[in-house]
Amino acid sequence: MKNNVKITRIKRSMTQEQLARKVGVTRQTIGLIEKGEYNPTLLLCISIAKALDKTLDELFWEVEDE
Amino acid sequence: MKTWISFLLPDDEYKEKKMLHFLAEGGFLLFLFLIGMTILNQFYNIGSTTTLLLSILFFIVYVGARYILSGIEYTDVATDKAYKRELKLLITKTTSFVIIFTLLYVVFVEFPSTWGGWFELLGMLFTVTLLWFMTSFISLKRSYKKNKDLMS
Repeated sequence: MKNNVKITRIKRSMTQEQLARKVGVTRQTIGLIEKGEYNPTLLLCISIAKALDKTLDELFWEVEDE
Repeated sequence: MKTWISFLLPDDEYKEKKMLHFLAEGGFLLFLFLIGMTILNQFYNIGSTTTLLLSILFFIVYVGARYILSGIEYTDVATDKAYKRELKLLITKTTSFVIIFTLLYVVFVEFPSTWGGWFELLGMLFTVTLLWFMTSFISLKRSYKKNKDLMS
């Protein structure tokens, strides 16, 4: 699943490790989510959105280009 | 999702899901293995102890191999420095195990009086240590590779 986690995290000058610690998962899990290789549960999506101060739409909603 | 097996599972949700997959795969393959053994038992007389031990071994080896090869054990090893530090730690742990086990065996079990006794003790120790080291080393290497790819 494509998402904006990586770009948002970088904009907030946060490392994968810091985000992982904040949401209570491993750094590997954050890396997999950013690469779109793992689809997180809704609970984890909400935790990530809160940690990055964004809405679920802004992070995970796919917008098709017209 | 709460299940009684939760106490065996890691806290991280990706690792938890992976472990559940491995255990489920192992359980299903064990089911097929037992059907195969039941059919085989009609033609060859395989003892029940042998069947049970083989079943346990089959499950442990399958789940263990899937876990080791998946690279999910060392989730934070993503740099060369962290990899070398973890490798050093692994060498220290296995060396300590060899020394402590040999000392405890010699002091509390028996002091081998023949060359054969020493050969038996060291042979067993060598096999266990090699197996432990190799499985941990492969797991570390796979984890490092996986994490390095995820960092870019």
